[in-house]
Parts: sequence; structure tokens; C-alpha cells
Amino acid sequence: MTDHRIILLCVIPLAAGLISIALINRKALSRLVGILSYTLMLGLSLSLLLKITAAPDSESILVSQMGGWTAPFGISIVFDSLSGLLICAAAAVGLGAYVHSFSVISPVTERRYYHPLMQFLMFGVNLSFLTGDLFNLFVAFEIMLMASYALLTIGGSKAQLSQAYKYILLNVLASTIFLMAAGMVYGMFGTLNIADLARIVAEHEAANKELPAGFKSLAVMFLLVFGLKGAFFPLWFWLPDTYYTVPISIAGLFGGLLTKVGVYTVARLFPLIFASDGTSTILADGTMLGGTSPIIQTILIVAAAFTMFLAVLGAVSQHHVRRILSVHVISQVGYMVFGIAVMTGNALAGCAFYMIQHMVVKCALFLCCGVMEKHAGTDDLDKLGGLLKRDWFLGVLFFIAAMSLVGLPPLSGFFGKMVIIREGFFEGMWYLGVIGLVTGAITLLSMLKIWSYGYWNPDQAPTTNKPEAVKASCKPAYAAITLLVVCALFLGLGAEAVYKVANRAGEQLDNPKHYITAVLGDDAYAKVDELIDERIAQEPAGPASADGESLTLVNPEEEATP
Amino acid sequence: MSSSILRTANGIIFPLTLLFALYMALKGHNMPGGGFIGGLIAAVALVLYRMSHGPDAMMRLMPVHPRVIVAMGLGIAALTGVVPLVFGEPMLRSIAPYISLGVGDPVHLPSALFFDVGVLLVVVGVSVGMIVRLGEEVEDE
Amino acid sequence: MTMVLAICVAVTFAVSIYLMLGRELKGVAMGVFLLSHAANLSILAMSGSPMMTHAQQEAEVAAENGSHAHIVDSPLMKDPPILASQYANEQPLATMVDPLPQALILTAIVISFGVMAFLLTLLVVTNRKTQTIEVADLAEEARKA
Repeated sequence: MTDHRIILLCVIPLAAGLISIALINRKALSRLVGILSYTLMLGLSLSLLLKITAAPDSESILVSQMGGWTAPFGISIVFDSLSGLLICAAAAVGLGAYVHSFSVISPVTERRYYHPLMQFLMFGVNLSFLTGDLFNLFVAFEIMLMASYALLTIGGSKAQLSQAYKYILLNVLASTIFLMAAGMVYGMFGTLNIADLARIVAEHEAANKELPAGFKSLAVMFLLVFGLKGAFFPLWFWLPDTYYTVPISIAGLFGGLLTKVGVYTVARLFPLIFASDGTSTILADGTMLGGTSPIIQTILIVAAAFTMFLAVLGAVSQHHVRRILSVHVISQVGYMVFGIAVMTGNALAGCAFYMIQHMVVKCALFLCCGVMEKHAGTDDLDKLGGLLKRDWFLGVLFFIAAMSLVGLPPLSGFFGKMVIIREGFFEGMWYLGVIGLVTGAITLLSMLKIWSYGYWNPDQAPTTNKPEAVKASCKPAYAAITLLVVCALFLGLGAEAVYKVANRAGEQLDNPKHYITAVLGDDAYAKVDELIDERIAQEPAGPASADGESLTLVNPEEEATP
Repeated sequence: MSSSILRTANGIIFPLTLLFALYMALKGHNMPGGGFIGGLIAAVALVLYRMSHGPDAMMRLMPVHPRVIVAMGLGIAALTGVVPLVFGEPMLRSIAPYISLGVGDPVHLPSALFFDVGVLLVVVGVSVGMIVRLGEEVEDE
Repeated sequence: MTMVLAICVAVTFAVSIYLMLGRELKGVAMGVFLLSHAANLSILAMSGSPMMTHAQQEAEVAAENGSHAHIVDSPLMKDPPILASQYANEQPLATMVDPLPQALILTAIVISFGVMAFLLTLLVVTNRKTQTIEVADLAEEARKA
């Protein structure tokens, strides 16, 4: 369904960024503009999300064609359940981190284009979630990255500068590969529109026709790029060092948002397009189940397993709160990759849910760490202590967020992990499920480490700041953390409602029909339907139609290989 | 860097280059050219002026700081993109009417022109700002 | 022509990787700039040449008995999609090259321009703060911090 308002989600941060350039020396006004922009984004995305959740399937995807150029030629902007969920979460996280920064960021830094950069970062992030065009995705990534480079080096301390090169050079390298891969996609298929690509792949699948040579290498190139942005195993090494040096609010924003953009693109592109092997199974009810390329799936499985497990071990070995949290970002990304690797609708729904809860929770933890640093002047666990006595409110907030991250019921992490791990066991990936559970246990260990060292330990060191002074100066920070923790609680206690949206996101990722028809028009999927009908006519009693109704239990590879 | 030959020659080169930049920017709608290229040429003119007359002279030539030019350009481009939304059209939708001036042929005036002007300003602002900034850094040392 | 471009891409990549593996960030930055050029060249190589497209088109059309073959059926054919739908059997295709890859390259150039500016400024700032742009010294600096 066409709705031109969705592009406002990109226009709002752009406009706010421009306005705050003009207001560069007016602190209060630029803060007001920033808060207004995040709130508007949050409100607009929530209202659009509610609208498409209430709508029937055929109207559940909002599309706007830029400049009125029809789909495969112009740039499509698509707002479906997945992007809606992520944009809502991103706006909430952005608001939290932004408000939090008022109490930790230095006035000098603030004047160095901090406000516009925060807005331009959101512009890039929102555009990557919304765009329906591969090359536009590249551009969105670049906008986001440019803002993140600048935010990374904002203030320009020695540590920041020396760490920034790793991040910048790696991302430039990844962008180059992305650019080449996009060019190759165009050379191979003559289109860059994601829906059009999905259509072409679906037609190949329906006809059981081989995809062009080199398709798999393209898939691997994309996986490399997005894996680097999303910090998958073994491309994660840049992350902990980078997040260690930046101002804590920015670290919270990066930890919440940036890796998720990488994961999102994998979730968007791989089940629909790049994980396909050009075969399919026709189920009894006439729907098509696309085959999955075993190589790509294996890569994803290995990435998921190692990302989850090795990273959590790395986190246990750390002794600084910031480092523990940053390494945990990686470990949690492993669960999302797990969800994608399973590639059923339910698992993808779990992945979507996990992504948004992790954004909120992780950002909240980073922001708590910021206040802890204010109390103790350091994030070294040996020098922390007695925080619960000094500041019980912070303790409560931290505890809720930490337990959400670990995934204790009824908090939000539980519902994400439960669905993903259960799907893993259903689909015969029990090893991933086991690793997921063990990882969860070790996560608990490292969160308890922060808790016992930081909050329960007797107050040992003569800390730099008086509790009252910290509490007075950190009012925005408390507000921000409270906002995010309330969001996290809502995601946990209201998981049923959120899963309604997430399930639809999973369905849309699993079955490309709605996405394709929404972007390209109603008859774009006709050829696929024709081909499916032909195949049903040819093999009326195929092996698949016998047990076709148990959709989640069919293993596509076994069915597809003749 | 500054020599009297360059300075004198620049008296002719500078206005001509700016004119050429304008020409390139305007013909861009149907032919090679456009705001980006026009902006680059204009930036080259300004940089050459900076070489011949010194950094201060060039900054006097700019009515505002380069960052303001960038912001203005982005603003104009974004505004051109947003206006169609008000009329229920998709963003960046452009119209290309022929406007009669009373004399001669009607003028082809696409709304994309405003977008191009925005691009031109951004490119001028970015290039000049970049060179000014890097130049300052190098000269300081 | 494709061969020449392919060699160019290969050489540019080789030089840029060599530079990026250097010990000084100046060289690394130069490597980054060359890298984006290599990527742009490779897109140009992938966009194909107009004459070939037309010949292929005719062969396809002849084979399909006059009906216009869809792009999906021959993924190696690089029809400019907009042109192909309008002038399927007409002359312009023979002299026109697909404009879209060039638009992509232009966009990519602009972006790498921005990245270049940022990286150069960062180099200057780093040099001023730490008095060095040697990779090893910066790593030492990072370890201290």
C-alpha cells in the first residue's frame, strides 16, 4: 500500500540536523530540537507500526516510490513490520542515549557538531532500515558510517584517535566490497531493487532453475560486509576497542544500534535472496518453500555458534564494565545470527524480537555504566563498590536491564531466546540450542560479576564524587535509563503484543510474496504462481505434498534434492 | 604561491570560471553537467583565488562560512524533496512546466532545478570548507 | 576492452592493498583512496559495452522468434533496463551504454570524496596530537590508553 509519509522518518532527523547546525552555539535550543526530533520519529514510527499491524496482510507493507519512478527503476522506500519494529526501537534508543549525554558529555564536545551528528546518524540508520534498494542501502550505510566516524573521534583524545583508524579503515574496506558486490548484482540481474531481486530468485526457485554462476560468491561477499558491520565471528575484533574509547552515551548508541543494522540487512537479504539455492518444494496447500543453500547456511551456523560462545568467554575474562558490555554486544549478536541461520518464519520472528529488545537493554546497560563511572570515576571493577548503598535506584535499573540481557523470565531477553532456541531444536540444530543455553548461563555469570563487584561490594575506595552531587548532575541520565528500562519491561511483560508484530515480520521475511507485490505491483508475482501451478500439475502426488501441512518440520534440503 | 602573473590572470580566469560553472549547472537537466559539476568548477575557481590572493581574501569573498553554505544547500535540496509530500505526491517528485515569459519561447523550468542549486551549494561549501580547513592545519605547523 | 579494464582493476587493487599494508598512515590513506577507484573501475567493467549488448539482443530476439527475451532468462545480458523496455529493437541500444552503473559510480565517487576529506583531516589532527602517524606508534598509544 502506498503511503508517502514513511519517508518523513528520514526527513525529520535530516531537518533537525540542519536546524541544529544553525543553532550550533545555542545549547538549550539544539537540545530541544534534538529531543523533539527523536520524539517525533518515535511517535510517527509507532503510529505507522500500529496502523500496519491492524491492517490485513495485503495492506501490511507501506511503500513509497521516490520521485514517483516506478519500482524496479526508481528507489523504493518500504516500511514493513521488521523495519517498523527496528525504527521504533532505534528512535527510543536514540532518545535515551541523547538525553543521557546531557549529563556526561563535555560542553566543548557538544559544540563540535555533536547534535547534528546524532541526527545524521539516525538519518542513516532509518534509511538503511527503510530502503528497498541495494545501492541506496550502500548510501544509507555510508551516511551512517560518516556520522559514526565523526562521533567516534569527537573530542579527539589520543586514545580515540589511535583506535579510530581500525574502525574507519575496516569499514571503508567493507564499503568497497559492498559497492563491488552491488555492481555485480546489477551486472548479473540488471536490477538493484530488493523486491525485484526477490522476484527473480523466486522465479528461479519456482522453476527449479539454477541461479547464475557466481551467485554464491556474491552472497559470501555480502555476508562479509554485513558480518563486519554486525560483528559476526570472525569479524568482530574491531568492536570492543572502539566502544571502549568513546563518550559513554555514544557507546550506548553504537552498541544498541550499529551492529543491529548489519544484522538487519542479513535478515532482510539472506532469507529472501542470497541464501537461496534455486530449488524449492511445493507444499500441499500450494505454497512454495524455497531451498536454502547448504554452504551459506553452514557459514551462518558456524558464525552464530562461535559468535555466541567465544564472545561470552571473552566477556567473562574482562574486568572493566565497558569492556564487558562491549564484548557482550558481540555475544548477543550470535543469537540473532542463530535466528537467521534457522531461517524459518518463527525463528526470524524471534530474531526480530531479540534485536529490538537487545537494542533497548544494551543501551540501558551502557547508560547505567555511564552513571557508575560518574560515581566512581572509573569503570574498573576493582575500584568500584558500594553502589547499591550509594544509589539504590541505579541498582534497580541496572539489575532489571542486566537480567533482561541474561534472559530471566519474565523479562524481555527470555522471550527472544526462547523462541530462537526452540526453533533451533525443532530444525535439528540442537547444537546451536545447547550453545545458546550455555552462553546464557555464562552471560548471567558476567552480569553477576558486575553486580557483585560494583553494587554489593563494600564501599572501599574513597570515590571522587559525592552521591548527592552525582544524583543532582545526572538527572537527565536517570530519566534516559528509566525510559529504556520501562521499554525493556514492556517488551518483557507485553511480549505477546510485540510478538504479534514480530511474527508478521517473520512471515514477511519467510514468504516474499507480500513484499514483492507491495513494491512491484500485484501482477509481479503472477509468473511465480504460474510456475508453481505448472509444477503441481506435473507432479500431483509429489513427496512433499504428503507431509506438507507440518510446515515447520519440513527440511527443505532433503525435500529438494532429487 | 602568490605571483603577480597568477594574480593578474586570475582577474580574467575567476569570473570566467564562475560563469562556466553556472553554465554547467544550468545545462545539466538534459545534458552532461548539473549541480555537482557546476559546484566543483566553482570551488576550483575559489581555490584558485585563494592561491593567488591568499586565504583571507577568499574568505572575504564568501558571504558566509562554508559550513553555512553546506547547511543551506542541504536545506534547499531537502525542501525541494519534501514539498511534493504536502501535495500527496512521493518525495522528490519533480514537475517540469514550460513557463511563458511573454517574449520568445517559453522557458523549461523543472522543479529539479532547485534541487540542483542545493547540490551546487553543498559541493561548493564542502570543497571550499575542506580546503580551508586542511590549509589552515598545514599552515599552522 | 573488458580485458583491459580487468587488468586495470587488478593492478589498482594490488597497488592499493600494498599501500594499505604499509607502516605509515599516509600510505594507508592513499591505499584507501585507490581502493575506491578500483571498485569504481570494476563497476564500469561490469556494466558492459553497448555493441555487445545489441548483438546479444539480436541473437536472443532471433532465437525467441521475435519475442523480446526477458532479462531474467539471460542474466549475462546487460540491458539498460529503462532503455530495454522502450527501445527493445531499435538502434539507440547499439550506441548507448547503460547509464545506471555510471550513476552508481558518480555516487560512489562523491562518497569516497567525503571519506577522503575526513581521513585526511583525521591524519592531520592525529599528527598534531600524538606527533606521529606511524601505525606502530599509534598502537603503542592505544595500549597505554
